[in-house]
Amino acid sequence: MLLETSSLTKSFGGLVAVDRIDLAIRKGEVRGIIGPNGSGKSTLFNLISGVYRADPGGKVVFDGRDITNADPHRIARLGVARTFQLLRIFGGMSALENLLIGHHGLIRYGTASAILGTRRVRAEERRVRQEMMELLSFIGLADFAEMPAAEMSIGQRRLLALGRAIAMRPKLLMLDEPAAGLSPVNVDKLLETVLALKSRYGLTVVIIEHILKVVMETCETITVLDHGEKIAEGPPAAIKEDHRVIEAYLGKEMDDAEVREFLRAS
Amino acid sequence: MPSGMRLLLPVVALGLGAAAAPAVAQDNIRVGITLRMIVENGLRYGQMTKEELEAVNATGGINGKKIEVILLDDECKPDKGVANVNRFIHQHKVHLVIGSTCSSVSMPMVDITAKEEVPQVVPHSTNANITKKGSAWVFRTAVSERFYASVHAKYLSENVGKKVAYLYTTDAAGIGFAKDYMSFMRKTYQTEPVYEAQMQETDLDFRSHLLKIKSFNPDVLAIGGQLDAIARITQQSYEVGIPSRVRRVAASAASNAPVPELAGDAAKGLTFAAAFSCKDERPVAQQFVKLVQEKYKVRCPDHDFSQAYETAQLVKLALSRASLKLTDAALADDRRAIRDALASIKDYHGLASGPISFCAEPTPQCRDGNRTGILVEYTKGGKDYDMRVLARVSFEPDFGLDK
Amino acid sequence: MHPIVPWLIGIVVLLPLPLLMPNAYQQYIVNVILINIILAVGLNIVKGFAGQVTVGHIAIAAIGAYSSAVLSTKVGLPFWLALPSAVLIAGAAGAMIGIPSFRLEGAYLALATLGLAESVRIAISATDALGGAIGYQNIPPPFLFGQPLDTHASYYYVVLPLALTAMYFSFSILRSDIGRAFKALREDPLAAAACGVDVRRYKVIAFVVSALYAGCAGSLLAHMSPGFIHPNSYTITEMVTLLLMVVFGGIGHIWGGVIGAILVTIIYDLTRDYYQYQMAMFGGVVVLTVLYMPKGIGGLIDQYLVRRRFNAIRQVKSNAA
Repeated sequence: MLLETSSLTKSFGGLVAVDRIDLAIRKGEVRGIIGPNGSGKSTLFNLISGVYRADPGGKVVFDGRDITNADPHRIARLGVARTFQLLRIFGGMSALENLLIGHHGLIRYGTASAILGTRRVRAEERRVRQEMMELLSFIGLADFAEMPAAEMSIGQRRLLALGRAIAMRPKLLMLDEPAAGLSPVNVDKLLETVLALKSRYGLTVVIIEHILKVVMETCETITVLDHGEKIAEGPPAAIKEDHRVIEAYLGKEMDDAEVREFLRAS
Repeated sequence: MPSGMRLLLPVVALGLGAAAAPAVAQDNIRVGITLRMIVENGLRYGQMTKEELEAVNATGGINGKKIEVILLDDECKPDKGVANVNRFIHQHKVHLVIGSTCSSVSMPMVDITAKEEVPQVVPHSTNANITKKGSAWVFRTAVSERFYASVHAKYLSENVGKKVAYLYTTDAAGIGFAKDYMSFMRKTYQTEPVYEAQMQETDLDFRSHLLKIKSFNPDVLAIGGQLDAIARITQQSYEVGIPSRVRRVAASAASNAPVPELAGDAAKGLTFAAAFSCKDERPVAQQFVKLVQEKYKVRCPDHDFSQAYETAQLVKLALSRASLKLTDAALADDRRAIRDALASIKDYHGLASGPISFCAEPTPQCRDGNRTGILVEYTKGGKDYDMRVLARVSFEPDFGLDK
Repeated sequence: MHPIVPWLIGIVVLLPLPLLMPNAYQQYIVNVILINIILAVGLNIVKGFAGQVTVGHIAIAAIGAYSSAVLSTKVGLPFWLALPSAVLIAGAAGAMIGIPSFRLEGAYLALATLGLAESVRIAISATDALGGAIGYQNIPPPFLFGQPLDTHASYYYVVLPLALTAMYFSFSILRSDIGRAFKALREDPLAAAACGVDVRRYKVIAFVVSALYAGCAGSLLAHMSPGFIHPNSYTITEMVTLLLMVVFGGIGHIWGGVIGAILVTIIYDLTRDYYQYQMAMFGGVVVLTVLYMPKGIGGLIDQYLVRRRFNAIRQVKSNAA
């Protein structure tokens, strides 16, 4: 297993956002995580990536290493890349610089040589810039390399966020609603890119998504969360039939219209 | 060359061009003044010094030469003072520098005027070290602290008595006042305090100490601290029954109006040392007070006013005595001539409470020219308080110097 | 071409500058500009690039100045050893001033660093061994081959190479991965951490590197004729002037500190005669800059360059068509 969590729990005051989640993700898998609003999906990502501290008793093991409550940058360096729902790209920096920051952990020169501006620093900078330009072309943003990220369109920014995660050369790529706000055409394009990247870099992918089409078509296994608990897990076909899933979505007043429609239609 | 650097060069060029020297007016006597001006009356001190100097231009100048004054603020910051004096000397090519208010600014200025050989007159700074640097170019019109701190001690020990009780608060003003007085009494008369007590700045009730002091029956009650403490101690000293023949003397904060107002009737007889009082009855002083009242709208000018005025008068006197060529080539000679003219001033009777005398040697004896302080006494307390000059106290040139 | 070559050329080109200056006052102002460049470039690293709102920079300069003064007068080190030692001491102080940044940001960090800075200044004022409120005097000038460099013209040859070296270092660090990491933690520390940037480490690096600059500038100010330093030169007013340099020059612009230091120092000097209005004028400039020119002069220059490049591209394309 590449990623395993056991009784991973997070409560905020009285509210249990993530409740004893056990998750096991195989190397090379594409896993979907779905659930109604507030079911704890993003909190789960934040726990795995070290943004939140897990409640005692929970455990996260990545690639055979216990990473429970490790610092986010440490977890990132071990090979866990994630995107954010709100993207959090560096708006004041160019597209190329965004990717270069993604590549930060793989740049091999020290602070002292950076201050002195040694030959090695310049050679390494040339190398990584070239490499990141290639990645930019791959995600189709090469023409915008120097553009400040804040001035890009929403679709370009989604791609850039993806590219920045890929620039980390991760083993595990965790995408938090990568298609939100995109037109159907752009959703397809994004999915293509994700799958192309997956095969190109041999990634394991976890996708949180509201657009069920995305998970149903892309993922081999789907995990369903509700009220912080895992209520179902299995291949897309089985999930569609699972009565607990249907209940979780349909039985709610304040749930997602699109999800309900999708379940009804299928 | 990187594009940024290409852009920078015009910026540098522009800046340096803008900073280029303004043409120096030939044939004028140029004086640079730097003072701390953005404080209560600061602007007026600067203005007065400038106007007093420039006043001669209306009546044909000094020996036919006009005075040009460059006035700058140094904000009591040494780096600003240094910048100003550099500017005076190198850019405006002044013949003389006046400055500054704060000792910490005058001090580095002395180093520069000594090195560049430009006469400097210090109007306000009192720190004793200013004239101890061995500079032949510095003159002080303020009363050096080595005299000032002992004005009351000298007068009271000679005229009132040597049994002194000390009550003071533990701030710098309070401690400084008491320590200076005590060390004067020890050095001069080998006399120890009859009573000594420190209180906190925030204390309100001093009566237990005052009761003890009463039982020692001292000649003098020395009160150190800020104005609140001074007013309270003065008042409470009467409440506990210390008789009025015991002379109350306080730190210099006592000169501030709130003290007689707060202390009320108890303020009568309270004394403090000063360099100048607007109640000074000499005609020269009253004329000056009237001038300040009319021109600068200040009812009771303090010693910073009087010393600014006095500095301008001394400078004019020296300029009139020096024979000046006022050409670029003669700048160094002219500066030297002005310095020598300043050093030649002897027994100048102006606003200062005693005569001002300078001499040629680069020593504090020669350059602390104003060696007279006054003792001021409140004659009436309350809102319409009044005071008078009780005594003038002059010191020997050597006073307060390590032998 | 090695990137240091333009800087070496720069030093050579600027060598005769004192000879071109009409008088020693301008030589003095040039020295002050160069020292302010070192200060502002250092502040630009921590404030402009790493986005840490510090008000402690001026106190670090004070620490550099007083360390250098004590080491040269009481320990007897020559300037050439006192300066690097002061730089190192300032660096250590910078690490300490940086610690609050682990937990605080924005206005809270500004307040915390302000507290630290003021306590440094007050501690100096209260320490008689450091000259207290009177000031520390008789700090010796640098000596070269037995000759004191105590004129403004000769001191220029100490300040110029140091200032350009400091600029070179700042350029190479800001153009490297370290500089990008600074910007990333300014833009979004959480996203930076998710990209593998050790946020605390880079905050400390930013504070320490900028402190090295402040220490160097402090030492240079201390040894500049007449060799006198005073706590009044390290108050919040001076800090605001430094911030003005960085804001005016362009926050986060690689030339920001340099342009700001040059312009602010010169404008300040030219407006000395209007001391009554000076503070108000400077306050107004800050407000106007923040409102209408948030990226400072550096931002304007960038805009101009970008527009020119686009125009050139358009030209090429229309020629082709």
